[in-house]
Amino acid sequence: MSHHAHPHTPPPITRINILQGQARVSAGPRVEFSTVLGSCVATCLFDPDVQVGGMNHFLLAEPPAGSHNGDFDEHYGVYLMELLINEMLAHGAAKSRMRALLYGGANLNSGFARIGTKNAEFARSFLASERISVVREDLGGMNARRVDFRPAHGQVRCRTVENTLAPDIKPTPRPLQNRGDVELF
Amino acid sequence: MNKNTRILTVDDSASMRALLNHALTSQGFDVAQAEDGEVALEWLALNEVDVVITDINMPRLDGFGLIEKLRQGNRHRDRPILVLTTESSEEKKARARSAGATGWIVKPFDPEKLVAAVRRVAH
Repeated sequence: MSHHAHPHTPPPITRINILQGQARVSAGPRVEFSTVLGSCVATCLFDPDVQVGGMNHFLLAEPPAGSHNGDFDEHYGVYLMELLINEMLAHGAAKSRMRALLYGGANLNSGFARIGTKNAEFARSFLASERISVVREDLGGMNARRVDFRPAHGQVRCRTVENTLAPDIKPTPRPLQNRGDVELF
Repeated sequence: MNKNTRILTVDDSASMRALLNHALTSQGFDVAQAEDGEVALEWLALNEVDVVITDINMPRLDGFGLIEKLRQGNRHRDRPILVLTTESSEEKKARARSAGATGWIVKPFDPEKLVAAVRRVAH
């Protein structure tokens, strides 16, 4: 091993796109998670002690057919939050040390106004009930966002982007059919 | 049926407990809730229950540990225990089965399927 006499280029950044319905965690110092959000919300979690971070990207499910037009189905959001938290724990993070950053939840046009707001409200109330503190949030408004997160450093860059770049804002169709299947032993 | 089926749910997520409580009480079940395996064991030492629904990943005592402890004692040796988890690996499922779990359900749960499973396993 040379003793750093030669200037060398740092290894390249590995960029990982986080799509709707995904949750990823990494401790890689050169890893960056990226996502583009319209009404969706991305939660970034970071544990400074073990230098591990993760991101999810969700949209609450449509209300079940027949329900009075109020309640979006939170099952999918809770699921993606839990996936993210469990993956953080598996990487050595502790829930009590986790810090959260929230992005997205825009209302891109008036016709879908409630979706972004509902997603933002859900994310805030979920984290409050799990006692995970939100250290930064950039939620709501009418513009799509691009979020770049360095999970091992807890660093986020969030920029406004053209709304046309945001993924389809259709909420997750209700059943994920094989999910929730019961297998009796 | 002259008395309600009693269920203990064990999950460290307050949001998940709220979803479960709503899904089960709305179908007429009596629901008690614990936030990890240790709390569940303490509660089960003093209370009667028909079905246990437990998460796997929890602090202090996880779902595997809870199932093993319940199967070691006399009181809950034959109690139906459904695992409700985000884990989808075959290895974890096999481990739950060999520990003595009655069934395996992958989140996000479907309230109707969950209720049907509880009715099937409740004695």
